[in-house]
Amino acid sequence: MSPMPDNWSYVLAAYGVAAVALIGYWCYLSARARALTHGRRGRGQST
Amino acid sequence: MPSGDYSNKMTRVLGWLAVLGLLAGLVAAFGYAPREVIQGNVQRIMYLHVPSVLTAYLAFGLVLIGSGAYLITQRTGWDRLAAAAAEIGVVFTAVTIVSGSIWGRPTWGVWWTWDARLTSTAVLLLVYVGYLLLRAMVDEPDARARYAGVVGIVGAANIPIVHFSVKWWRALHQPSTILGPEPSPIATPIALALLVNWIGFTLLFAYFLSRRLEIASLEEEHA
Repeated sequence: MSPMPDNWSYVLAAYGVAAVALIGYWCYLSARARALTHGRRGRGQST
Repeated sequence: MPSGDYSNKMTRVLGWLAVLGLLAGLVAAFGYAPREVIQGNVQRIMYLHVPSVLTAYLAFGLVLIGSGAYLITQRTGWDRLAAAAAEIGVVFTAVTIVSGSIWGRPTWGVWWTWDARLTSTAVLLLVYVGYLLLRAMVDEPDARARYAGVVGIVGAANIPIVHFSVKWWRALHQPSTILGPEPSPIATPIALALLVNWIGFTLLFAYFLSRRLEIASLEEEHA
């Protein structure tokens, strides 16, 4: 028997916050890449 | 095959490897590793916290290499590498601090304390946020790369301070058990779960870095 309670809510909170941060950064990179790729295509069509 | 297509393919492969690595890490952390005797299940936060900080060390190590190499060779590729690694390092340092804080509340009874390890890690985060702000403020590319190169080298001095802070000062944070000079006292299943998660995080870092470098070259085309 552990002297400390399980504290599953803290475990879920830690993994949840990490998932939000890492998925959020991935979404930011995807949006940035999409914007730049569309910009390049647009520029290519206009010339 | 154009190099851009090859690079996109490599990034996609790295992305899928990272997904597999992270899934394996979750299985190792929640399915394989035993419940820790003293702390109970809250110790499972370590499978997130420790690989995060090791990945941040890797990122800031690359900032140091990229910065030094740029200042010597003046090749913009090195500056791009340093900038990309710094941004990703900031994300992983933030995950380290937040996950450590959440672990600290039930274990130490506080969300935050001005312990040497915690304080030096917060300073590490601020140094590299400052590095990114500096890059955003200077418009002239050569001057930006030069100033950032100097900050990238000076900022790296904080990495050994963070790592050895628990040895140099009396700290609440436990001493290093992974990259410590003494043999690790960690039980084999816990060490294996940490290793699997470390590999997963390193693959995720490689994927983010590859993606960020692609974006940097697109940005240069647009400039």
